[in-house]
Amino acid sequence: MLRELKNRIFICYLLISAILVIFPLLHILFSVFINGVPVVMKYGIDFLTGTLPAPNKPDGGIFPAIYGTFLMVFIASLIGIPLAVLAGVFVAEYPNNTISKATRSLLLIMMEFPTILVGLFVMAIFVVPTGSFSALAGSFALAIVMLPYVATYTEQAMRSVPRQFKEGAYALGLRKCRVVFSITLKIAKKGVVTGLLIGMAKVAGETAPLIFTAGNAWRSTGSVFEPNGAIPLWIYYLIQQPYANYHEIAWGAAFVLMVFFLAIFLPIRFSMVRS
Amino acid sequence: MDKKYILLGIHSHVTRMRKVTVILGILATVVLLGCVSEQTKDVREQIKIYGSGASFPAPQIENWIYEFGKINRNVIVEYASKGSGAGINDFKSKLVHFACTDPPVKESEWLELEKIGKPIQFPFIVGAVAVIYNLPVEELKLDGETLAKIFMGEIEYWDDDAIRSLNPNANLPHEKIIVIHRSDSSGTTEVFTTYLSIVSEDFKSKVGAGKLVDWPVDKLGRGFGGKGNEGVSAMFKQTPYSIAYVELAYALHEKFKIVSLKNAEGYFVKPSSETITSAISATSAFVPDPSEGYKEDLRQFLNANGEKSYPIVSFSHVLLWQNYPEKEAKAIKDFWKWVLTDGQKYIIEGYAPLPKEITEIGLKAVEGIRGE
Repeated sequence: MLRELKNRIFICYLLISAILVIFPLLHILFSVFINGVPVVMKYGIDFLTGTLPAPNKPDGGIFPAIYGTFLMVFIASLIGIPLAVLAGVFVAEYPNNTISKATRSLLLIMMEFPTILVGLFVMAIFVVPTGSFSALAGSFALAIVMLPYVATYTEQAMRSVPRQFKEGAYALGLRKCRVVFSITLKIAKKGVVTGLLIGMAKVAGETAPLIFTAGNAWRSTGSVFEPNGAIPLWIYYLIQQPYANYHEIAWGAAFVLMVFFLAIFLPIRFSMVRS
Repeated sequence: MDKKYILLGIHSHVTRMRKVTVILGILATVVLLGCVSEQTKDVREQIKIYGSGASFPAPQIENWIYEFGKINRNVIVEYASKGSGAGINDFKSKLVHFACTDPPVKESEWLELEKIGKPIQFPFIVGAVAVIYNLPVEELKLDGETLAKIFMGEIEYWDDDAIRSLNPNANLPHEKIIVIHRSDSSGTTEVFTTYLSIVSEDFKSKVGAGKLVDWPVDKLGRGFGGKGNEGVSAMFKQTPYSIAYVELAYALHEKFKIVSLKNAEGYFVKPSSETITSAISATSAFVPDPSEGYKEDLRQFLNANGEKSYPIVSFSHVLLWQNYPEKEAKAIKDFWKWVLTDGQKYIIEGYAPLPKEITEIGLKAVEGIRGE
């Protein structure tokens, strides 16, 4: 009797904990939806194609921010993902090597590293010498932020591959390179892709690394060598102003960011689960 | 074994196709975005001018850029508000064409700028610090001395004799005064504490002026800090019987009750476009030559003479170089000339246009910008 009661209490406790954990997430999704949708509806398609309006003028949109975010996440992925996956593979394949041990702890430190410092670092080594804020500088900073996530996920996924597969492959006479890239990485694909997605989603929402690198643009879309906006940067700047229409645009931008994020993340995530 | 191998093969084929599709999709999006951005560009050559710095004038600058963009389509001005200090740094590294700073540049910084080029600095907009109160009283009058005592914590209750004698008709409650101030380093705090140091010797010796000061009222348990104008505003709204200081634009936008302050000539005034302009007109002689911008002294513009002058006003300044590449020089000149002339018609709530004497100073400096 007492045992059953204990059991019940513990299950209730687990349930409540689970709810407490997902409640903030649901609350964020809900409040962004409630505050963002009316704004996007009110501004119409202009919200996606327009540029920043003057204070207290109810029109305009966030096109330069959408453009900048896409551009920078794309370039950051081009730079960051190959590096990170290779680093992850190295650490997983040679776990006892001194360099790989150091890399592993460095990756963990990088994950917790304040991203604003990454921005300052890129400003010092790239922005100041080139003489301009640019999307490229922003992408470098984002790539650095993305790196440890992708690398760590890759490493974990590779290490979770049962030894038998590798042993089998070696027994068939495959070279190490073939084993790693055709067998282990393929089996670990789910984990690696999750890492990529988490990395990309993480940097798409980053503000701090961009403040000192990307510059900002409210009304123009530049090349990769020119300053560009980004959705999180816009939100950050807009909420500091006292004007209601800027706050509205910030909510709308948050909603757009959330939709992009979910649109990319959910389908791939579900297809992963199915396969 | 065979079966599994075949299955694996098909599977990897499918994933490869999916991968290709995803990559193609991303590429297509980027190309599409690129095309849209190409389309939005005018056929003529566009020149982009970048600026960064103080957040206080940002909304006004956005408004100017918006209006200027209507008449001058081939110049695009972009401004990032990240604080006066960051703006000066960006300017020094030549990452931006202009920087805005609330306090004038210090002499040491000015000398560093002079090593790189010829800097010019002039005021382009003026604002005020409003003292706000959260009391069920329609009108509250205070003088500098009393205000300083309240912010030092020496006056504890709202119905203190000092406040009562200034507001004989107001129904002041016997409640403790809660003081709310900025917790972050801020130009607003610098202006406000400089003013209090001018009107109260006591404040000057015990607290002093600065971007970040040690408020004695905090130690009495009646003082609290909020981050940024928005932090102070939020805290102020939730705290009955509180008093605080914020940028005028915030006070007006949030419809806070604003204290009437006693000015140097003994009149009680509230901050408005008229009272700010009056204060600036009375002190315009103190604006230094733009090529010696660091000589400006904040104190000279506070507690100005004049019946209608509001005592706590402050300028925002712009930093420019005397020389730019040819095309940029023209665009920069066009924009800042417009700001100082026609632009003064597009002033939004919370700011005040500059009197002619001061726009003249700026105009002369802008005229001197040369292309090379």
